[in-house]
Amino acid sequence: MKVVGYWLLAIGCWLLASCTSVPEHPTKVDRLPEIYPDYIGVTIPADIAPLNFNFADEMIDGMDVVIKGSKGGTLHAQGDYADFDIDDWHQLTEQNQGGELKVTVCVKKDGRWTQYQDFSIFVSSESLDDWGLTYRRIKPGYEVGGDIGIYQRDIHTFDEYAILTETVVPGRCFNCHTANRTNPNRITLQMRGEGGGTLIQKDGRQKWIETKTDITKAAGSYSYWHPQGDYVAMAVNSVHQSFFTGTGQRIEVYHKFSDVEVLDTRSNELILSPLLFTDDLEIFPAFSADGRYIYYSSSKSCRVPAEYEKVKCSLCRIAFDAEKGAFGETVDTLLNGPATDQSYVLARPSYDGRWLMYCVSSRGNFPVSQNDADLWLMDLKTGESRELKEVNSPQSESYHNWSENSRWFVFASKREDGMYTKLYLASIDEQGRVSKPFLLPQRHPRQYYLEMMDAYNCPDFTRIKVELDAHEAYRQVFDNKREGVRIKN
Amino acid sequence: MNKVIGRYLNWGLSVLVGIGIFLFWYVAYPHALSYQEQYQLFLWTWDYFVERVSLPGGFVDWLGEFIVQFYYIEWLGTLLLALLFVALQRLTLRLLTHGNNPHVLFRTQGTVPMCLSLVPVALVLWLMGDINVLLSLPVAIVLALALACLRLSKRLSWVDFIILPIAYWLIGPVVWLYVIIRVIQLGWEHLWTAGWLVAVQLMVYAWLLPQWPLQQAMTGLNYYRIPLHYPQWSGYDKDMYELIRLDYLVRNERWDEIVKRAGKYQVKAPFWSNCVNLALSQKRLLADRMFDFYQSGADALIMPRTRDLTSMLPSAEAFWRLGMVNSAQRYMFDTQESILNGRKSGRCTKRIAECMIVNGHYQTAAKQLDLLKKSLFYRFWAKEAEAMMKDEATINAHPIYGKLRQLRYKDNFLYNYDEIDKMFGLLFMNNQENKMALDYFMAQMLLKGNLQGFQQYMGAVQQYGGYRQMPLGYQDVMHCIQMQGKVPGSPYAKYVQQMAERRAER
Repeated sequence: MKVVGYWLLAIGCWLLASCTSVPEHPTKVDRLPEIYPDYIGVTIPADIAPLNFNFADEMIDGMDVVIKGSKGGTLHAQGDYADFDIDDWHQLTEQNQGGELKVTVCVKKDGRWTQYQDFSIFVSSESLDDWGLTYRRIKPGYEVGGDIGIYQRDIHTFDEYAILTETVVPGRCFNCHTANRTNPNRITLQMRGEGGGTLIQKDGRQKWIETKTDITKAAGSYSYWHPQGDYVAMAVNSVHQSFFTGTGQRIEVYHKFSDVEVLDTRSNELILSPLLFTDDLEIFPAFSADGRYIYYSSSKSCRVPAEYEKVKCSLCRIAFDAEKGAFGETVDTLLNGPATDQSYVLARPSYDGRWLMYCVSSRGNFPVSQNDADLWLMDLKTGESRELKEVNSPQSESYHNWSENSRWFVFASKREDGMYTKLYLASIDEQGRVSKPFLLPQRHPRQYYLEMMDAYNCPDFTRIKVELDAHEAYRQVFDNKREGVRIKN
Repeated sequence: MNKVIGRYLNWGLSVLVGIGIFLFWYVAYPHALSYQEQYQLFLWTWDYFVERVSLPGGFVDWLGEFIVQFYYIEWLGTLLLALLFVALQRLTLRLLTHGNNPHVLFRTQGTVPMCLSLVPVALVLWLMGDINVLLSLPVAIVLALALACLRLSKRLSWVDFIILPIAYWLIGPVVWLYVIIRVIQLGWEHLWTAGWLVAVQLMVYAWLLPQWPLQQAMTGLNYYRIPLHYPQWSGYDKDMYELIRLDYLVRNERWDEIVKRAGKYQVKAPFWSNCVNLALSQKRLLADRMFDFYQSGADALIMPRTRDLTSMLPSAEAFWRLGMVNSAQRYMFDTQESILNGRKSGRCTKRIAECMIVNGHYQTAAKQLDLLKKSLFYRFWAKEAEAMMKDEATINAHPIYGKLRQLRYKDNFLYNYDEIDKMFGLLFMNNQENKMALDYFMAQMLLKGNLQGFQQYMGAVQQYGGYRQMPLGYQDVMHCIQMQGKVPGSPYAKYVQQMAERRAER
């Protein structure tokens, strides 16, 4: 019996060996391999999901990839594409935290092996402790949202889970899901259309409220939690789209009006300020890390869509007193849009209070639709700003958000095809040095991104997995019972 | 002898059912099949199969879509549909006459059971008149009946404990039909299966369907195109099916037939006007005969954006032929996203890919083509288009894409539906060979009642329109202008009067 076992083992080994063809005498070429996604020279956190990649040329017989860590450890993958074992990958990246991984790619085509120049993947010494990402997936269409869904993705593996999808609330458009500084014990999202409303979930309990009043004219959206966890800053606006006849940018998104308010989720009171309820358009509020200020953008009212090119947003700041639930008396203009002929939108302060990241484009207040939207970074210690050339592309970059420790950020970019936004992550160190971003890893990246007919937007980190009872959401949405709000005197 | 005659009669009836159903769809309602086919895109991939069968009722959903894809070739799709109905009739007959217990209704296959076996056929046929009923429902009914035909004796009734969860997962809540038949076959003591099925459904809802409402878990996720709605016993509404037929004829560019039908029967809806005007324009008859037909108003040429899966299709087809490529893409995209069960549309995806190719957006076009390449009937075209994208000169030389590149706007500005007449005018100014744009420009001014503008551009019609003499329709309008509308029998005067009456009614 033992003999039979040895024979079986031997046959198994032989079969295994015959399936694996080690590159023999490869022709070495002095150029980097063209891989998809472009992971050459990127910086990653330890224990991120494996950076699987394809060779750009699809007509290859196979590829062989060897990764060696500067602090030890190796990893080998062979097949149609580089597909790494998750546990082995985690072991290697953890072992090489603060070091680098040297990647050797050999490609077999027409029966011959070619070895490309090695490239590095840097493993940051800064950890990324969040569980994953949350984001909305939506068809990059026009005025019909279609099959929308809010999802979460474990960034250490390839697993994706639905948080709320169109199937449970058919015909509803929902967006702007926001957690409190990556903590999903506070969530808000806005649902539009019939039976619309604003969800406030605190510690697992859902509350659906109607934030529209006679004075505020629309339901709150583009939300942001106060760090204390009771206030939510929102914009109340009316969003519209127009469509270009040319072959470049497809859509111009604009707002007919927009104001900023704060909702006290304990009392359902709306806190208003005459400084934020003006004829100008105030939009995209965000609390500072200490909760003492609200950053937002403001533009002069224009006759949109005719004057869409005149929409130039300034980046502003107003004090907020969480004790009293009151706004300050003055507005600071940090960056003047009309004066610089730019538009500054979507300010997102890092949670350590060190940085302010925002979008800059030539016009408009909805950067994801602006092809020239780029990310910029302001040092809140010095007030100096710089363009994040390390992460920008000729296409739109927007919807950025910080990791819990503010050492990583995620953003959405249309760099690949100008239409389907995808998620990229990059690191930032104490000096503000930003690494080359990497596309959110997928098990089979080329197939996944080719077949993915959705665009990603509103990405955010989440420190733990989000728990939202979609059945309860359905009941509350279709019951159509909404708690009202009142204006705080 | 009687047995032999009975057997021939028995099978003869089934053959008649098959022929009848085939003729019903193939001759009378081929457009209904085209309508169903255009709101799905069946992919021949393992992932697609897994995606479907990962939900209760997903297997019949997959099977239904599998059959519907063959509607692309009308005779083949109709044949499969006829066979499905024959199966329905045969299974019903079998259940009525071959029961394995004393509760069987009929001992022999006489005339009565044979007639009764036609009842489900008639009911399902009538039910399918509701355009949102998916083929998964008839398929589920057939499978439920087939399951009930399995010869399981009373002694083996416990097997239903295992069968029901599996059957529920494969065919969905229509499995209740099986439960009812089994209770009839085996008696009231078998009623426990009903309780068990409810329990199964509730467990599936609680544990496996976190993103679906209870109502759908109990009544079916994929029998009806509109979530949380149910089939109507509406049958084949004449006007609705006329509109569907016109869309089908537009899809197949059968312009003469549209004009011919329009002369016989009209539906007072913008959709109808859109189709007829598009057909007239393709025959270069718009200027001559437009007001001989019903015109719905300012939306008679192009519909404003409407959130449903049908209304914008003829407008999208008009945009495409005019050279308003971006608008064609937008209307097709929004149409596809309005399919409330979240399915893709082969027709829309193909047109979206074409728009992207014309606009030179090859990377996004490649995504659409990748999808189409996984289908059966769009695959060949997608491969050709993919090859074409590698050579810009081939696209420029293409009879349609190359022409559209010449016709589309050269300037970049914002589309404005309220000023669609000016947009047509600009399109014509952009390329004075674009005679369809000129016809639409003039027609839109007439629809809006802008007679001053119409007169102003009559010179352009004479110079660029390519007409040997002034079109009859324009002659009529000029006559109306001269006579201040007092022209008895004038089609345009009638239109103006109708518009005035409608405004007064509002």
